[in-house]
Amino acid sequence: MKKGKVWKYGDNVNTDVIYPGKYTYSMLEPDEMASHALEDLDPEFAKNVNPGDFIVAGRNFGCGSSREQAATCLKYAGIQAIIAKSFARIFFRNAINQGLPVIQSEEAARTIEGGEEIRIDFSKGKIRSQKGDFTFSPYPASVMEIIKAGGLIPYTKEKIKRGKLGK
Amino acid sequence: MGKTVIEKILQSHSEGRTEPGKIVWVDLDVRSARDFGGPNVVKNFQREYGDAPVADKEKTFFTFDLSVPACTRKYAENQQICRKFARKQGIKVFDVDKGIGSHILMEEGLASPGKTVVGTDSHLNILGAVNCFSQGMGDVDITFAFKSGKIWFEVPETMKVQLEGQIRWPATAKDLTLCILKHMGTQKAALKAVEFYGEAVENLSLAGRITLCSMETEMAGITGFIPRGKRLSSEERKEFPRLSFSPLHAERGAHYSDECTIDVHNLNPQVAVPFSPTRVQSVSELKNIHVDSGFIGSCTNGRVEDFKAAAQVLKGRKVKPGIMLKLVPATRRVYERLLQEGILEILFESGAIVSNPGCGGCAEGHIGLTGSGEVQISTGNRNFAGKQGRGEIYLASPAVVAASCVKGRIASPEDV
Repeated sequence: MKKGKVWKYGDNVNTDVIYPGKYTYSMLEPDEMASHALEDLDPEFAKNVNPGDFIVAGRNFGCGSSREQAATCLKYAGIQAIIAKSFARIFFRNAINQGLPVIQSEEAARTIEGGEEIRIDFSKGKIRSQKGDFTFSPYPASVMEIIKAGGLIPYTKEKIKRGKLGK
Repeated sequence: MGKTVIEKILQSHSEGRTEPGKIVWVDLDVRSARDFGGPNVVKNFQREYGDAPVADKEKTFFTFDLSVPACTRKYAENQQICRKFARKQGIKVFDVDKGIGSHILMEEGLASPGKTVVGTDSHLNILGAVNCFSQGMGDVDITFAFKSGKIWFEVPETMKVQLEGQIRWPATAKDLTLCILKHMGTQKAALKAVEFYGEAVENLSLAGRITLCSMETEMAGITGFIPRGKRLSSEERKEFPRLSFSPLHAERGAHYSDECTIDVHNLNPQVAVPFSPTRVQSVSELKNIHVDSGFIGSCTNGRVEDFKAAAQVLKGRKVKPGIMLKLVPATRRVYERLLQEGILEILFESGAIVSNPGCGGCAEGHIGLTGSGEVQISTGNRNFAGKQGRGEIYLASPAVVAASCVKGRIASPEDV
């Protein structure tokens, strides 16, 4: 993966500040969704984010509503991956189902600073930063298969076709 | 080794052995979508699967509860997108007249002990109140659930919380819930199922169980269960006529990842201050805070018992002039019970605004939005910045909201 700049945020970044409720009722185009990403938390983000940037945050990232746009708007904004101390469950699923990598690493989330450039090596489970390298445990095999397939629907379409989805 | 409640339910709905950390494919008894998320589910479904039928139309539902009836063109369009799809597929719609979807699922007996339910409502895990496994999920998950009748799910660890002591008026289930939130924060129960034990929860009515389980999401947990308890009272059966409710016990020797004890003796009314549901203080510490408006309702506090508590405070009293107290029953059946029991009349006489059933101000629906600088005391479950408009939201019980609207500042029912 290529290098990208870090946008750093704190604990409990909720879905209302990631993607405000008022936009969720319209089916907006990807560019427009990206232009509202994080607008109630950091108005500079959408203006200055570059494709390939990363978000590094504290605990419980993505808490609050089940709105999938919270994950998709960050993906459309070009975010390569999100590193956090922990993720709210619904957001975590939404991100994986959309093929947006989310990495839980307490140490990396604490140490990496906003504005620095980092790189992630998924195959080795490694985050490379100016402050050193951090390892993270790889996803369980079934989650990795979903990400590799590009999200839940492409992954399962094939399985449904073959009738291979559990009992 | 025995199984916890969630392990038991997931075991009976998947193949192979269920253990924490393992990802299983869960067979779903119910999958639902709301007017929030629903239109995206339809769009995704048609894009990915075309005109193919859903896996089982008898187990698939739409529930409209956010903007009911639609108050914007966008909502009207979105609800209509869902209705058209539902007609074509033969799926039942609980339309804008019915009330909050999660509550409808309980009243209709579609969510009941041991079942599995998913939908596009982040508070759907409220169904833990009837010992049902349930999760709110995003549009892609629900699209896939409509098509396949399944979801992938990582079996969570279970935490055991023991509550010491009983709660007494003016403390209610909401004060107990806020006290637990203060203790748990957003870390202790994160990504876990929680089983609550102790007299304080085992004696809760179903409405009280709903209040507690609704805020498991704010603890960052997967879901909460209250495995022990009484069967429904005759009053509760009138409110939930199709629900067959029974306790669902964990097995002997079940493994818990953590256990903790919370002392709730002498619990006073509690309030969560802006902008986090876990920033909880006693009412007595907040009595100089002026309020502009009040809200009673939401999936957390929209049942008959909640409005009875408010009526107990408001009977023979008036909401202070200039303060807007907004009331939204959870469902049409709650509304009906309030009518039949004369509760609506007491609330109306107090000067409160009573609306038709639904979610109220959550997700910027109809009732309960605030303007900049407005202070609202609410029985809702979230007080995040921007969640209900630009104002400041304090979370409290129906009794505390009612008392605060009489006094014009945050107050306990004992202050009026």
